[in-house]
Amino acid sequence: MKYTDIIFGFLLITLLFGFSSCDDEKTADYDVPATYSFARNGENTVDFSGQTIRILMAEELVSSLSDFSSTKDLLKQQFANTDAEGGDVDPYISIQLNASNKSVRSKVAASTDLFSSNTTESAKIKSDFDRWMESQVDEVFPRQMQLAAKGIAGQIADGTTERYVSGKGLEYNQAVAKGLVGALMTDQILNNYLSPTLLDAGTNREDNDAQITVDGQSYTAMEHNWDEAYGYLFGNAPDVANPIGNLGADNFLNKYLGRVEDSEAFAGIATVIWDAYKSGRAAIVASAYDDRDKQADIIKAAISEVIAIRAVYYLQDGKIALEASDFGTAFHDLSEGYGFIYSLRFTRKPGSADSYFSRADVDGFISTLEEGNGFWDIGSTTLDEMAEEIAAKFDFTVEQASK
Amino acid sequence: MMKRGTLCFLMIVILMMTVVSSCGDSDINPPATTGDSYDRAQLLTDVADHMIIPGYDKYVADLIALTSSTSAFVDSPDLNTLATIRNSYVAASLSWQKVSLFEIGPAEQISLRNYTNIFPTNRDEISEHINTGVYNLVLPSTMDAQGLPAVDYLLFGIAENDAAIIEYYSNMPNASAYLTDIINRLTSLASEVLNEWTTNYRAAFVADSGSDATSSLNKLANDYIFYYERFLRAGKIGIPAGVFSGDALPSTTEGRYSKIYSKQFFLAGLNTAADFFAGTDHDSTSSAESLLSYLQYLGNDQAALGQRIVDQFEMIRTTADALSDDFGVQITEDNSKMLETYDELQKNVILLKVDMLQALNIKIDFVDADGD
Repeated sequence: MKYTDIIFGFLLITLLFGFSSCDDEKTADYDVPATYSFARNGENTVDFSGQTIRILMAEELVSSLSDFSSTKDLLKQQFANTDAEGGDVDPYISIQLNASNKSVRSKVAASTDLFSSNTTESAKIKSDFDRWMESQVDEVFPRQMQLAAKGIAGQIADGTTERYVSGKGLEYNQAVAKGLVGALMTDQILNNYLSPTLLDAGTNREDNDAQITVDGQSYTAMEHNWDEAYGYLFGNAPDVANPIGNLGADNFLNKYLGRVEDSEAFAGIATVIWDAYKSGRAAIVASAYDDRDKQADIIKAAISEVIAIRAVYYLQDGKIALEASDFGTAFHDLSEGYGFIYSLRFTRKPGSADSYFSRADVDGFISTLEEGNGFWDIGSTTLDEMAEEIAAKFDFTVEQASK
Repeated sequence: MMKRGTLCFLMIVILMMTVVSSCGDSDINPPATTGDSYDRAQLLTDVADHMIIPGYDKYVADLIALTSSTSAFVDSPDLNTLATIRNSYVAASLSWQKVSLFEIGPAEQISLRNYTNIFPTNRDEISEHINTGVYNLVLPSTMDAQGLPAVDYLLFGIAENDAAIIEYYSNMPNASAYLTDIINRLTSLASEVLNEWTTNYRAAFVADSGSDATSSLNKLANDYIFYYERFLRAGKIGIPAGVFSGDALPSTTEGRYSKIYSKQFFLAGLNTAADFFAGTDHDSTSSAESLLSYLQYLGNDQAALGQRIVDQFEMIRTTADALSDDFGVQITEDNSKMLETYDELQKNVILLKVDMLQALNIKIDFVDADGD
C-alpha cells in the first residue's frame, strides 16, 4: 500500500466527518498556492527565522558531541545558549548564532499541549539530554583510544569506521540527535504550533479575521504560528518555499522525512505533509479554521508516523546486525533507534489530546533497551516485540518500515 | 549513485519478468527450493581445499617473506633492500587479492579485510604514530593507518624518490619500527586466520551444509556478493572513477603510491571472483564444484544464467584490458574507460545478486547502510 493510499483513506474519513459536523463550513472559496509562498499587499508574510536558527544551533551541538576536544561547558552552552548563571555566551562557530538569544534547550519538551501543565516531565526530559551530554564527556571521551566491551565504554568497529559507545553500547551523540527530532522539532510542530489552543490563543482569531498584523510585521499572529510549525521541518531547506526535491536539508526531522519518503511503502508522504502545510496556511488566510485543523491533523498523523517508522526501521536493522554478531553496526542502529523511540513520546494522535505513546510506554521501551548490559545483551525476540508494539499503533507493518 | 528506490523498483521489475516468463512455460523447472539435493558439502569442501586454505597458505608465506625483507631493509636501508622489500610487498598484495573475498568465519571474526586493506590510507595519522611512537593498532580507528595501503605509502610515498626514502629510514628509527609493527600485525592476523581454518574451522564450515540463512553456503554467497559489489566494483573502480561522487577521485586508487600495480591488484581480485564462481583455479587446470555447477545442476535455465555470468566476467576482463597499469593515470587521462569497466562490472551485480540468488533461493543478509 502506498502512503498516498493510507492518507487517502484518512482523508475520506475526515471528509465524511467534515460533511456531517460542519455543513456550513466553506471549503472551496480560497486557492492553495503551488508553493509555500504567501503575501499580503504584495509583501511576503512567511517568516520562520527563529526555527532555522534553532536547527543550526542543534547541528553545531551534535557535531560538538563527536569532537573529543569538546568540554561539558561548551556542550551545555551550545544546548542552552547561556552560561550556568543564565548569562550571555558565544559558544557557536557561526556569528549569526552567537548573535541570537534563542536556545535549543528552552524549546525541548516545551509544547503548549503536552508540557505546559506537565513541567515535571518536561524537566525530566531536559535533564535526560543534559545527562547524555555529560556522559559523553565523562564516560566516552576518556576512552577514545580504548576498545569497548560489555559494560565498558570505548570504540567499536562498524565496518570500516568506528563508533564510540557507552558501556551499554549506546552512542550518546545519537541519543541526543535523534532525541531532538522528537523533543524539539516534532514536539514544537505537532503539540505546539499546530495546536488549536495556541493558534487560537488570545485574540488571534479576531485579529486574523480582521487581518490585524503583529506590531511591525507583515503577518498575523496565527499565520506566524503556522509558519513556525513549517520552519521546524523545512527551515533549513535550500528553497524553503519549494522544499520537497531537497529533503535531507538538516540532520533532524527533514532528513528522516527524506529517508521515509525514499522507502517504497511510504513514497509520497513528504508531498502529503507539504500539501497539508500549504492548504492549512491558505485556510488561515481565508479564516477557514475547521479546514486549518483538518490539515493540522494530516500533518500530525504523518509526522508521528515518520518517527515510528524510523524507530521500527532501526530496531530491525539492529536486530539483523546483532544476529550476524556485527556489534558495532548493531549498536549504531540501536543508538539511532533509541533516539527515535525516545522521540515517540512527542508524537500526536490527530483529534486527540494525547501522544500515541505515554511516558510509561516510552520509559518501558527505554528500560528494556538499557537493561543489564544494554545492547550487548538484548535479544532478537525483544527487538521484534518492541517493533511490533510500535507499529501496531499505526497503519503500517514492521515489514514495510524495515525496507 | 542509483537511488535505493530506483534500484528496488528495477529489482521488482526483474523479479516480475522472471515470474511472468516462468508462468508462461509449464515445462520449466521450478525455482530451486531448500529441498534440492545438490551436494552443498562437496562445494564447501572444494572451496575450502582448492581456494581458501591454499590462498591463505600462499598469503601467509608471502607475508613471512615480507617480514624478512623488512628486517633486512630496516637494518640496512639501501637500493637493494628497498627493491627486495617492495617486491615482497607486491607479492603479498597480489596473494591478498585471492583471499580478500573470503571474509567468513575467522576472518570475519577479526575483521581481517578492514585491518588489511582500507584505502586511501591516512597519512596524517601515520605521521602522528611515527612521530609520537604511540599507537594501538588493535583499535578500529587505526584501520586506515595500517595494512597494505600503509605499507604502500611507507615504501613508495614517504619521501619523493628512492634516495630520499632510504635517507628517511636511515634517520628515523620510529618509522622503521612502525613499518615493522604493521607488517608484523598483517602477518599475525593472517596466520591466525589460516591456523583457525586448518585446525577447527574447515570442519565446521563443511559440516554446516544446510540451506538456512546462517548455513555456510548462504553466508559465503552473501560474502561473495558483498565483496564483489563493495570492494571489487566500488572500491577498486567505482570510487576512484567518481561513480559515487560525481568527480573522479584519483587519490583513492588502490596502490596509490606505488602507482603501477593498481591494475594488477584489480585483475587479481577480478580473477578470484570469476574463479570462485566457476570453480576454476587460475594456477591450475583442476575444476571443482562451484556456484556455476550448482546452477547447472538445477536445470537448463539456471545453467544458461551461469553461462551468462561466466561470459560477463570475460567481458569485464576484455574491457579492463584497455586500462593503464596505473589507474591514477587512467583516470586523469581518460576516465571513460574506467566508467566502461564499472558498467561491465555492474552487469554482473544484477546477474549475481538478483538472478543467481533467486535461483539458489538465498536471501541477501546485508543491508545498504543509510550513511549516518
